[in-house]
Amino acid sequence: MARNTYLKKVLGEDRLERLANTKVIMIGAGGIGCELLKDLLLSGYGEIHIVDLDTVTLSNLNRQFLFRKKDIDKSKSLTIAKAVQSFNYFNAKLVPHHGNIMDTTQFPLSWWDQFSFIYNALDNLEARRYVNKMALFLKKPLMESGTTGFEGQIQPIYPYYSECFDCQAKVTPKTYPVCTIRSTPSLPVHCITWAKEFLFHQLFDESESDLSNSETIQNETDDAQEIENLAQEANELIELRKSIKTTDASPFIEQLVLKIFKGDIERLLLIDTLWKSRKKPTPLDWSTYKAPVTGMLSDISNQSLLINDTKVWTVLENIYVLYKSGSILQRRIKSGKESFISFDKDDEDTLNFVAAAANLRSSIFNIPIMSKFDIKQIAGNIIPAIATTNAIISGFSSLNGTRYFKYNYDQTGSVDFTPISKESSTVFISIKPNKYITAAALVSPNEKCPSSSLLSRGVFQITEEQRQTLTLGELVEKLVKKYGYEEGDLSVIVGKSRLVYDIDFDDNVEKKLSEIGGIGDGELILVQDENDRLENLELYVKVTDEEREHVLPELKLRPKKSVGDDQSVETEEESGGDVEQVDGVVNENDAIVIIDEEDDGLVELDEPALKKRRIQVQSLA
Amino acid sequence: MSLCKTRLQEERKQWRKDHPFGFYAKPAKGQDGSLDLTQWTAGIPGKAGTLWSDAVYPITITFPEEYPSKPPKVKFPANFYHPNVYPSGTICLSILNEEQDWRPAITLKQIVLGIQELLDTPNPDSPAQEPAWKAFMKDKALYEKKVKEQAKRYVNAGSM
Repeated sequence: MARNTYLKKVLGEDRLERLANTKVIMIGAGGIGCELLKDLLLSGYGEIHIVDLDTVTLSNLNRQFLFRKKDIDKSKSLTIAKAVQSFNYFNAKLVPHHGNIMDTTQFPLSWWDQFSFIYNALDNLEARRYVNKMALFLKKPLMESGTTGFEGQIQPIYPYYSECFDCQAKVTPKTYPVCTIRSTPSLPVHCITWAKEFLFHQLFDESESDLSNSETIQNETDDAQEIENLAQEANELIELRKSIKTTDASPFIEQLVLKIFKGDIERLLLIDTLWKSRKKPTPLDWSTYKAPVTGMLSDISNQSLLINDTKVWTVLENIYVLYKSGSILQRRIKSGKESFISFDKDDEDTLNFVAAAANLRSSIFNIPIMSKFDIKQIAGNIIPAIATTNAIISGFSSLNGTRYFKYNYDQTGSVDFTPISKESSTVFISIKPNKYITAAALVSPNEKCPSSSLLSRGVFQITEEQRQTLTLGELVEKLVKKYGYEEGDLSVIVGKSRLVYDIDFDDNVEKKLSEIGGIGDGELILVQDENDRLENLELYVKVTDEEREHVLPELKLRPKKSVGDDQSVETEEESGGDVEQVDGVVNENDAIVIIDEEDDGLVELDEPALKKRRIQVQSLA
Repeated sequence: MSLCKTRLQEERKQWRKDHPFGFYAKPAKGQDGSLDLTQWTAGIPGKAGTLWSDAVYPITITFPEEYPSKPPKVKFPANFYHPNVYPSGTICLSILNEEQDWRPAITLKQIVLGIQELLDTPNPDSPAQEPAWKAFMKDKALYEKKVKEQAKRYVNAGSM
């Protein structure tokens, strides 16, 4: 029996044939990538390119099953391409690229154009946004995927027919106000942040901690007494740091403990305003601990405590660990081999110090103490990665991707994604009973999305010689002629936010394009109609050797919709309406949909800020 | 993010079309000759008939990458004399505080008008500097003298 007998039955002969002649790209060769490449390979794609900028590390091996110990420090993309050869049953051509996907020299727009489908297996927001933009530029289908612990999701993106990655606002990492960390902690994470970012940083690391930046502090608190107190605390630590090299271990740590867990806290207690509505902290009673700690230090068997990661240490034990790790760190600095030490979750000395200091501070502020293992998760920003979640999500990613090849988009060259976007769905998985798998139909792009709405995109092709002779003024004229802006009434923005031309700012019109930073190969230009008649235009600059007249893309700019014009903003504003809606910022609850199961498995979700979505609920048997 | 830049150019356009009398606001010019839309300078005229009149007070406005989800940071020159201005010059105003009244729909015009309003109606409940706040609470004569002195320093501050 041929190896593809079942595949043929599942996918159909036509589709299998199509897949065999298809070139796809997988970006990221990590947790999801290892699983996904296996799936793609066994689905019968003809050619698979793999991009990753990373090398294999020891901590990858527990779940990234295509890597072995001998692969450590080798390129992930090159290694993974070799690793799957043993089961490359359908003779797919594998092309690994070691590099950053956002590098426009290695991966110019023209390079992207060869692929029929983009599979993302990435782990960061920046690269996801970038790939999303490339997909929009080239109107290529993109399968987005991601996991955290037991949760995961896939989102098929059919440019301009379904929501893109930027259509839903993403939650940015939480930051804590400096004053919460420095004066009034109430959660273990506050104390861990203090121990790692402030205490450890001030004592052992290279530059001054952000948490002692006087301007940040002044912006946050208007209590002069508190500001003064925080400054004094930081200055005393600097003094203590100076004494690292000149003091013996025992007096150094004792001074440290007395200062941060007794003196500082007593001084904090003097600021009445802080404790009006909070429980007061209790300074460490050093006299009851001094003798027992000395006793513990003299018994070498206590050292086993340092490697007991899951035990929740007592206050005494925490002081002991602080002594032990503190003196080792001091010795490391004293030896002269290291002039400073940065916190690293895998450097046991630094982790012990931070864990013990965080716990002691917690106990002073009546906050629960945690085990070193738990502190490591928080201090190291470790998101647990689970192999099974990655495997399930990769399965959905690949399965949903093959659905696209039911249609013959490649041969027809059509970018009308209406049918496929109606058939595809976003899938969420979780550990919650009866909600293991939830699928939601794709929705149209968010009208307020900065990436996929009110925007046309195209490639502006130019030779290097033309770039050095064409002026900005001439380019503006060409734009006016080509797209029908009213005479000169447009704006040109390059880079992140640099305005180089608008009707009120013509300083640069005589300059050659090459003299204006930001109009080079692979860079983006944003053109906006200042009269609000035409939609925005984003141009990708492509510098070629082809000897011909520079080319602006053949596009017909659509009329700009009146969404978000200042009038509607005003009314929303005055009526105190939902501002999040006005600017397309969606609250974080919309990112993952968690719903109750109903008998027919269909639930109407009520989302006031968005369109209603029909959600299908299935249970995993 | 592209939302940030489209919105900033929109703010610039709206300002050009319509801005309150006596105010100015413009993005800073970089060394390469482009305008940095995330860095603005602006001038706030004191309201007529108040201690602050006949002067234009300069401010800098810095827009973060997350704008308009997050508010811009607005500063007077360091040591500006006003009860709600920190020694660094940072203005303490609820509409500029993400955790208080900032909303993405708030425009540049509303921000500068809010600051103009704040000049003559300080909020005694959120002191940001000691000298001006103390004088405002306990020694009105001293406060008025200091404010008028400061106004004189900004009489000829640029206007457009």
